[in-house]
Order: sequence, then structure tokens, then C-alpha cells
Amino acid sequence: MTISGLGPHGERAAPPERVTLLPDDRAAAKTAGWRVGVALHTLESDWAKQLLAGMVGIFGDCGAAVIDVVDCGFSPERQVAELDRLIALHPDAIISLPVANEQVAAAHARVSAAGIKLILLDNAPTGLLPGKHYTALVSADNFGLGKIAAAGLSPHLPHGAEVGVLGFAADFFATNEREIAFIKWLQANRTDIRVHVARFGRIDEAAELGERLVSEHPNLAGLFIVWDTPALAVSARLAARGRALPLATVDLGEAAAIDIAKNGSVRCIAAQQPYQQGIAAAQTVILSLLTRPVPAWIALPGISVTRGNVVESFQTIWRQPAPKEVLRALGLSS
Amino acid sequence: MPPSAPAQAESLRPRGKGRPRTAETAAPSLVELLNLVRSETATTRQELERHSDLGRAVVADRLTMLGDLGLVDESELGTATGGRAPRLVRFAARKAAILVATLDQTAIGVGVADLSGNLLTEHHEAADLAAPPEQLTERLSALFRWSLDRHTAAQGVWGLSLSVPGAVQSGTDGAFLTTTPPIMPAWEGFPLVESLTRGFGVPVWIRSSVETMTMGELHAGAGLGQRTMLFIKVGRRIGAGIVCDGQLFRGAQGAAGLIGSLPVTSGGQTGSLDSLAGSEMIQREGMAAATDGRSAVLADILRRGGEISAIEVSQAAQVGDAASISILATSGHLIGQVVATLANALNPDLIVLSGSIVQTNDILLAAVREAVYGASHPLVTRDLRIIRSQMGSSAGLVGAARVASEALFAPAFLKEWVMQGSPLGHPAFSDYIGRLADIPKAAPAAPPPPSRQGKEPLA
Repeated sequence: MTISGLGPHGERAAPPERVTLLPDDRAAAKTAGWRVGVALHTLESDWAKQLLAGMVGIFGDCGAAVIDVVDCGFSPERQVAELDRLIALHPDAIISLPVANEQVAAAHARVSAAGIKLILLDNAPTGLLPGKHYTALVSADNFGLGKIAAAGLSPHLPHGAEVGVLGFAADFFATNEREIAFIKWLQANRTDIRVHVARFGRIDEAAELGERLVSEHPNLAGLFIVWDTPALAVSARLAARGRALPLATVDLGEAAAIDIAKNGSVRCIAAQQPYQQGIAAAQTVILSLLTRPVPAWIALPGISVTRGNVVESFQTIWRQPAPKEVLRALGLSS
Repeated sequence: MPPSAPAQAESLRPRGKGRPRTAETAAPSLVELLNLVRSETATTRQELERHSDLGRAVVADRLTMLGDLGLVDESELGTATGGRAPRLVRFAARKAAILVATLDQTAIGVGVADLSGNLLTEHHEAADLAAPPEQLTERLSALFRWSLDRHTAAQGVWGLSLSVPGAVQSGTDGAFLTTTPPIMPAWEGFPLVESLTRGFGVPVWIRSSVETMTMGELHAGAGLGQRTMLFIKVGRRIGAGIVCDGQLFRGAQGAAGLIGSLPVTSGGQTGSLDSLAGSEMIQREGMAAATDGRSAVLADILRRGGEISAIEVSQAAQVGDAASISILATSGHLIGQVVATLANALNPDLIVLSGSIVQTNDILLAAVREAVYGASHPLVTRDLRIIRSQMGSSAGLVGAARVASEALFAPAFLKEWVMQGSPLGHPAFSDYIGRLADIPKAAPAAPPPPSRQGKEPLA
């Protein structure tokens, strides 16, 4: 699988294999006894849980203690306060997913200014530079995810259709890339399709915004929503109003997997690999603390999930069996 | 209070009877004060009086005018040094935005910057520069509109600045471009400047990528505060950006620093630096090493169905592949020999190497250092630092923004628009826009497909 996007500063992607740990690296790390802090946008999503599982396991193998895992609740103010609190704990490294752009840039710059290695996930605030303000960014190939979603939704869209895109209002590298790529793919491959864009600021606004978009454009034949939690909220709201539109989204959460298996609204999911991303992020931390050079941008390819491959995709991504409801819907279990 | 020299010059202009109106005489002092604030040379009224030689009343009056025009902001208080805390005078950099873009052989980047040239957002994506110019311009415009939709809904745009792969001839235009300079052979005859000015209603500037990256490095990267710097971009072409006395030196035709065409000799072969040390050589030699058994790492990439570009060779060198190390060392030594000549001529404080080949391995940088140190006068290298850029492709966007902001606020240009509060009201620009509207489009693009109509963000 190739990486189709470029990094936040135009970097070419390095594959996660570039940060593989050798036995010597693990041994050296074990003697150091490093301390690592983690600040995520949320701890409640399946994505965040899997990311942490991958990350914490590697730190365990390397004798590094995860001293705090912070839920920033998608709030820039909370993230700024939590980063300052983490800095005061003097960890050797901090892994952070910046929840905004400009509002959290200075707080992230303070991390590296304090001599703490900073590894970013999914988003690099504008103005922060790799090697100077942060060590590396580890993310999915979000541009690729947008393309996968568009290619997956396209067969469900009749000629001349109108499509709604529900983006994220925050200036966020990952969701920006998905939105741009989704529309670009349609412009290149389905010039008959007309796109309408709206953006939600908070997840709990998504359902209402989705409903409004559909009522403003009654001919919409499909929707792309930039990740699964708001996508399912929109789907549920539309279902309650008696509407069902084919959906494409990003992230194979459990509920999304059940929906796709049951022939619900979700027709295509461009899935990230959060467990692998967690592993790559932790390995990048260890290598950088060992003063080994690490790439500025490490990107993991996305996986195209449809009803036909949802079981194996779930296993690949979550490293666990697919939910019973998925298996039952596909006739693989009773 | 003696009037400043520009104010005297202004007062000599032919005018009607009676005292000149403030609006007629204020422009030179407004320009001077605004640029003192913009460059942060002065941040309080007292400092402005000191640096400008203008009296307190004039400074107060002009600051009120600049405040009314929305160009300065005095809402913040500074630190008291005995007595009341002074009111800080800040440049209103968010008054409007500058659109910026970089075009290179394999990617385009777009961004939105504030009036000080600080990047507010950026996006990069793969693109083929060999594609028809209409198609690339349309993609650029779509990305600009998307960026504007997200970031500057409440603001206006005051300028658009582009970075392109080749040298851009200077001296053919005034303060902004009114015709498209010859930039790339395949783009000849395509009205890029005219299309973008029409599309966005703002003045347009174009510089070479080496020039914009040098500006970016100078103002936001390792070159911050440096007076003398050499910036070397290594890619398919190899070029140098020259900074003397804190300013980018463009040369008589805008062609300063085209070192890639200099002849060098390597392994008994003589050719240009571009051909014997650029990324095409690295790719070609890497491919040969993969197929003739010299490089197991590169051969493995091929076996897995991968492609070998200069980046793969560069990454292979970084993990210790002997053949790749040798290829990059050859390139680095050749570049270093040429850079040493420049360094001996200019005696820089700093040499910054840039480009993805330089960024993905340490070998090329080490080889350049070795060659420069070996071939330079000891005094030239005594305090010389040779480093790698940390800005990636952002340097080009940041630098393009600086090109536009420096042009917008150049005293001669600013003087003509400051009273209007926007460069879009500059008489020469209004005149140009008017002329463009009268001229039918030279090369009308094909009608946009349905998905690109309307006011959709990427449409």
C-alpha cells in the first residue's frame, strides 16, 4: 500500500518500518528507565483505546513508564493547561495529539523548549517545525483515507448526484486532508457529481448539521463524514426522520462495523490502523530518546473496508475477533 | 518640530490654494510610522517619536489615522518602567491575508499567511508539473478557495505570491506583476498572472523556489537574524540563494545563484552540477546499484515492487547501504566544491542545505561540509556553520508570503495606498484591474464541470 498524501510541511512519508526497534534498542531503553506522558484529544473512542494499547505495550517492552494519560476532551484550553502540567512533571517525552492549530501551538512549543521530546499524532500546528519544535509526526495517510472513502462511496452514487461532505470546523491536519482528498477524487473521477460542504465544531453538533444539510439539499444521494462517531450520529438522526443515505466515513469503530455488516447506511469505511500507529509512535519516542535519527513524518496506510471484508479488516485493525453482531449479520456465527 | 524629508518632498507637490489637507501630507509619515511598527523597531509611542523624529502630536494624529484604517492596534499594555504602563503599538497583521503557493516538479503547496508573512495554514499534495498549466492553475485556485473558506472568511486578501521551479526574470514589472514572466518552457504563453489577478482580485508576485525558500529560511528558519547566508537547494536542479546584508540578492536579471549549470568533473566525466550531482544522477546510480548487485537494500525495494527515486537512495544511505552512501558522497563532494567557491567569495555566517534528499540522510551534508572546509580559506570557515534546513517545503510558502508582505509595504508602494487603507485601492492596481476587465480572456479555460460550479469551497 502506498502513501498518497504529503506531510504537513510537504514531507514525503516514511513507512512505520523505519522506526522498527532492534533488540539492542530495547535493551538500551530498559537501562534508561524513561518516563513518558500522553495527551490525547479523547480517551473514549475505540481509536484512542487501540492507539493506547499499541503504545503502552511497546513502552512496557522497553521499560519506559507511562506516567500520565490525559483526556483533553477536544478542548484547546484544556490541552494547553494539561501540557503545562505535564511539562512540570519533567517526563523524558510527551506524545500529544494537538486538538487545534494556532491555539495550542505555543503550548506544544513549550514542551520541546523544556528539553522534552515531543512526538505528535495526526496534527502538526502551523508554524511548528520538525526537528525544531517537535521530533516527529506519526499519523495515518489521511489524504489516502479521503480517496478511499470517495472511491468506496462512488458506486452508490447515481450519475449527476449531489453529495454532502460533513467536515470538522477545527483547523486540523488530519480532517482537512480527508476532506480535500475526498473532493479531489470526485473532481478527478466523477465530474458529474456536485458537492456541498458543511463543517461541525463539536461532535454533538454533527447530527443537527447533517440533518440541516440534507434538508437544504433534498437531492443529496450520499454523505461523507470525516470520522465514524459523528457519522453514526448523523445516520441515526436521519433514520429517525425516515431518511437513509449511503455513507462513507473514516475509522472502523465497533458500531460502524456492525452498521456496515447489517447493510445499514455505512457503505464504505476508510480505516486507520490505530494499534499500529500507537506502536509506531512509541517506537519513535524510544529511538529519539536513544538519539537515533527519526523521519519527520511517519505515515500508516489506510484500509478500505466494505461489507465484504469487514470481518478480516476488523481483526487486522483491532487485533481481536469481530463483534458477534457483525459475525451474525454476515451468517458467520449464530 | 521639523518635518521629515519625505514630508517636505510631499509638500512640494502641485496643489490648490490654501493649506494642504492632512490627507495629502500625511502619507509619508504614515508610511514611516507603519513600517517602524510593522518591523517592531518601535512598539510604543515614545519609541516611534524617537525613531521617526516626528513630534508627539503628529505621532498621535498619525496613529489615530492608522488605527481608524485598521492597520495598527493599541489595545495592549506594555511593561511599566516607572510610571504608567505604555500602550503597545502593534501592526494589525490579521487585517488581511496573503495567499501563497509553491509549485515544484512533483508537488504543489498552498497556504494562507498574515500580513507579517506568518503562515496560518498550509497544505501540500502531489502534482505533476508536466500537466497542462490550465489544469494546475485550476487546482491551485480550488485549493486557494478552500483555504480562504476555512481561514479568512471575515478578512480580505491583499496579495498572492507564488514560488516556481525556475528563475524568474526581474525588472520587467513595477511593484507587482502585470504580465506573466517566462517561468517554464511548457507554460509559455499561459496568462498565469492575469488569470490569478482576475480570479482573486489581488496583486500577484512570482519568485523562484530558491529565492522564496531563502526568504523563508532567513525570516523564520535557521537564518533568523543572519546578515550573510547561503541557501543551497538540492533537487533535480541545484540552486543557491544569496543573502547579503540581511537582504536577498537577486542579481541584474533575477538569475543570481544558478550554480546548477556550472561545469564539474566526476569520475572522468564533465558535465553540469545539476546533471552530475542532482537527484536524477542519484536516482539513476541508485537504480544501477539495485540491478547490478551492489545494493541489497535498493534491490530489496525493487523486489517488493517499489520504485527507486533519489529519496529511496537517500534513505538507504542513512541505514548504512554502502553503494547508496557512495552515491550521495559523490553528489555532496561536487556540490561542496561549488559551494566552497561561493563561500570564499561571500564569506557567509551560515550555509543552509535544503531539499528532501538532504533532509532524509546525513551523508550528503557531511560530504558538503568536508568539501567546503577542505577548499576554503581558514578565515572563511572559522565561524562558518553548515546545517540542514528544518523547514521542509514550508520554507517556500513562508518565503513567498514575505515576498508579498515586503512588496505591499515597500515605502514607494505603500505611500500610494495607505490613505485608502488597502493596497487594492492603489491607483496602479485599480487601473490594472480595470484594464484586465476590458481585455477578453486570452486563453479561456474549458467550462468547469458541474461539481466546480457554485460557491463550494473546492469549486
